[in-house]
Amino acid sequence: MSAVAGSLTSRRTFLPTRALWARLVRLRELQLLLAMAVVVAVSAVLHPDFVSSSNVSFMLADSSVTATLAIGQTLVILGKGIDLSVAPILGIAAIVVGFPAQNHGLPLAVALVIVMGVGIVLGVGNGILVSWARIPPIITTLATLSVYGGLQFIIANGQEVVNIPNFYDTFGNSDLVPGVPWALLAAVGLALVVWLFLRQTNLGRSIYAVGNDADAAHRSGIPVQRIIFLTYVLCGFLAGIAGLIYLCHTGSADSTTGTDSNVELTSIAATLIGGTTLTGGRGGVIGSVLGAIFLSIALTAMVFARIPPIWEPAGVGGLILLAMVTDRHSGNLGSGGPRRVGRRH
Amino acid sequence: MSPDRLGAAAQTRGLGHGVPVGRARARRVRSPGGTEERVELAELGERVPGEAGTGRVPSAPGGTGQGGRPEAGSPAVSGWGAPARYEARSVTKSFNGAIVLDDVSVTLEPHEVHTLVGENGAGKSTLFKILSGLYTPDSGRLELGGETLGDLTPRSALGLGIYLVPQEPKLMAHLSAAENLYVGILPRRRVRLLVNWRQVHREAATYFERVGLQIDPATPAREMSIAQQQLLECARALVHRCRVILFDEPTSPLTTHETEILFGLMRQLRDAGLAIGFISHRLDEVLEVSDRVEVLRDGRLVASLRRGEATRDGLVSAMIGREIGVRTRVRRTSDVTERREVLRVESLTSEPIFRDVSFALESHEVVGVAGLVGSGRTEIAEAIFGLRAADSGRVAIDGRVLERRSPRACIEAGLVYLPEDRARHGIFSEVEITRNVTAGTIPRLPRRWGLIRQREEQELAAASAARTSVRMQSLEVAIATLSGGNQQRAMFSRWLLAEPRVAILDEPTRGVDIGAKDDIYDIISDLAASGLACLIISSELEELCLTCDRVLVVYEGAIVGELRGEEITAARLGELVVGGSSS
Ligand SMILES: Nc1ncnc2c1ncn2[C@@H]1O[C@H](COP(=O)(O)OP(=O)(O)OP(=O)(O)O)[C@@H](O)[C@H]1O
Ligand SMILES: [Mg+2]
Repeated sequence: MSAVAGSLTSRRTFLPTRALWARLVRLRELQLLLAMAVVVAVSAVLHPDFVSSSNVSFMLADSSVTATLAIGQTLVILGKGIDLSVAPILGIAAIVVGFPAQNHGLPLAVALVIVMGVGIVLGVGNGILVSWARIPPIITTLATLSVYGGLQFIIANGQEVVNIPNFYDTFGNSDLVPGVPWALLAAVGLALVVWLFLRQTNLGRSIYAVGNDADAAHRSGIPVQRIIFLTYVLCGFLAGIAGLIYLCHTGSADSTTGTDSNVELTSIAATLIGGTTLTGGRGGVIGSVLGAIFLSIALTAMVFARIPPIWEPAGVGGLILLAMVTDRHSGNLGSGGPRRVGRRH
Repeated sequence: MSPDRLGAAAQTRGLGHGVPVGRARARRVRSPGGTEERVELAELGERVPGEAGTGRVPSAPGGTGQGGRPEAGSPAVSGWGAPARYEARSVTKSFNGAIVLDDVSVTLEPHEVHTLVGENGAGKSTLFKILSGLYTPDSGRLELGGETLGDLTPRSALGLGIYLVPQEPKLMAHLSAAENLYVGILPRRRVRLLVNWRQVHREAATYFERVGLQIDPATPAREMSIAQQQLLECARALVHRCRVILFDEPTSPLTTHETEILFGLMRQLRDAGLAIGFISHRLDEVLEVSDRVEVLRDGRLVASLRRGEATRDGLVSAMIGREIGVRTRVRRTSDVTERREVLRVESLTSEPIFRDVSFALESHEVVGVAGLVGSGRTEIAEAIFGLRAADSGRVAIDGRVLERRSPRACIEAGLVYLPEDRARHGIFSEVEITRNVTAGTIPRLPRRWGLIRQREEQELAAASAARTSVRMQSLEVAIATLSGGNQQRAMFSRWLLAEPRVAILDEPTRGVDIGAKDDIYDIISDLAASGLACLIISSELEELCLTCDRVLVVYEGAIVGELRGEEITAARLGELVVGGSSS
């Protein structure tokens, strides 16, 4: 050991393990929980109704659609891509099962299989264009946003789903225990599976590797294009499931479901607020789910504070900016300059 | 010193820090917990049936990214495939019509270190990239163990046990060192799917030790210096069960110490039956480690020499076509009276990397900084230039203290910095050479009506690039298409154009061939004679001896000694950089 010790060691080349609390404070998940606690506490003091179980349940159920979309969006963004087409994928999934459910009482399990299939097929479309035809993700999905949106229009054929069977509604709007809706549990369950996948499997880690540096990943023997393809398929798959949750929660679907409320942008917002960077390779899915919940809570709080709904988009924008600023200040930002270390002189 | 004696020395050193030497073979060991298996290198002895010797069927790993290699799930250390000869037959490659490799055949034999030398742009890296599947040759074929390989990709090459340690290390910045080591083949638990992170970190540490890399496996790659990244790339070759390892200038950012550790490892791998490919511009190194040396010149093989046949002068004249004598130190006799202090650094500290660094630089002076990888030499330069936060300390240029240091403020004050890691901090890889060369001078470019005059910009760039004789097809191609050494020359041209009064040059000649190196030394020397104050950070002690009036020695983040004039010898510096006393 001695020869090396003499030459290279330098205990100093080991970065000191940062103090535990310092690392925790930088954790985006904790920052979000803290922010949520503050928003909830303030709103609860001003409007005790804010923490009624029905309102909590509503906020959380509402966020589960965004959360499910954000899980898929996170996978794509981690691989340095982006998926703008999740809105029509959600919409198509919702109407494709919505009509048979309304007219023939399609069982929920069958509906689930169908939306997964729809999501996968549409995701494969994106995947092929990005990884095989090598069209930049933002262009590809901007195009498929329109194409899939048109498809949704054709499938809906001018009709609307207005009346869904009870068991759909039960899944979409009832609680396991008061304040904890089933829909959210579904989203959290998916998030945990994806979290494990991202953290504990070679395939999941490969997504991070590709997002960090596709060339380096290629050189390390990672099948880069296949990994990218996979992220779009998974994203489509999850958007399909989100479509079913949406259908159950709102009880309606039509030719512009999803696109009319810009869910693709909300899902990206939740992902960014959750700490995943647009430059790829950093972040995670738990943050995105918390980001979605936070968005829902914050927007509801705005309603309670009697801020007119036209301010809602501005609220989302403000939260994204806030998240980015926090990122920079916790030395987290991926796109910063070389070896930027903490504060600068 | 005979190569054999050097070899013996390196092996002894290898033993000293627990690196097994001699004929290594793989042995499967059950760890005390019984939950994991580990394969260790064992010394001597006959083959374990079914292990190392059986080798791996040369087939590309198929399927998904999940554990490309058959053994990937099992925690992996080296169990190399059967030794095999690796041949390139009549390989030809051209880029945009320019022939880079012309009918080149090389054979990498198992049990040999096979070295390529040649000028910058001769085609060495291109050949290695073809051998490792990064480039496809226009014609010719590759044969491993007598079997012709089809279309090779980096992935299938790794499956066959062929790995390239590239000239510019490229890691995944936000992943830990340990994960970078295992990327794609992270060892998994018994429950086959899940990664065993504890094992990843523990075993990464042992690999790092074998290549002489001292770093916490949890460090993110973005915080690693270029030498550390390079060593990590070397360690990665051990993780994949390789039988052919190609090292493209692995030693260019390393000092003698790290180099010796790496050579110990290369010899050990060679003795275990691997075929080792090696590229370097440091000829004494080449003579020390190679069993066979081949010289590439303008894309053709012009000489092939065995150990013992090769001499420095022989190699130089084969490479360049002319003789270059061993350079000796030129003593400048500048007029001492006109000297004045231009750069003063006072108690600069950035814990935990360096502390209390103070020195001054006068005009007409070339000062060197010597220190090991990880000693903090680069970080000090970065802190002076405002790239890295400092806890305390002051920097003054021309007696004026720079309050808020930033690269821009430094450049405006007349200080330039040539970074060591050109790939990450130097070049704009997809931008044309012209704009790369003028990038440090944008505010001063000739303009008309506020717009930069392209023609004159190009003329300036051309003149500056000519001073370092950058070899290129045209100025208007992306700098990424230049060979490594030529990119370095272009970086040097950039700051030449900036006409600084103080220059901090971090590894100014990294990857530059020996002819051009002398040119660069001449330029530095001329500029110093006309007043430039220059700080040179270098891993090559020889370089410091040739160019410097004074050398500061950095050890573990502090300046521990200073040598002047005739005191500066490689031997003296060698002692000081490892913490020897400066008496
Ligand atoms: N991707 C590319 N596109 C165009 N030209 C290239 C490309 N890669 C290499 N070249 C050209 O091929 C020639 C050989 O380059 P190569 O990198 O093999 O040189 P080298 O021998 O490794 O030199 P060095 O010692 O500087 O590393 C150079 O002239 C270079 O400009
Ligand atoms: Mg090269």
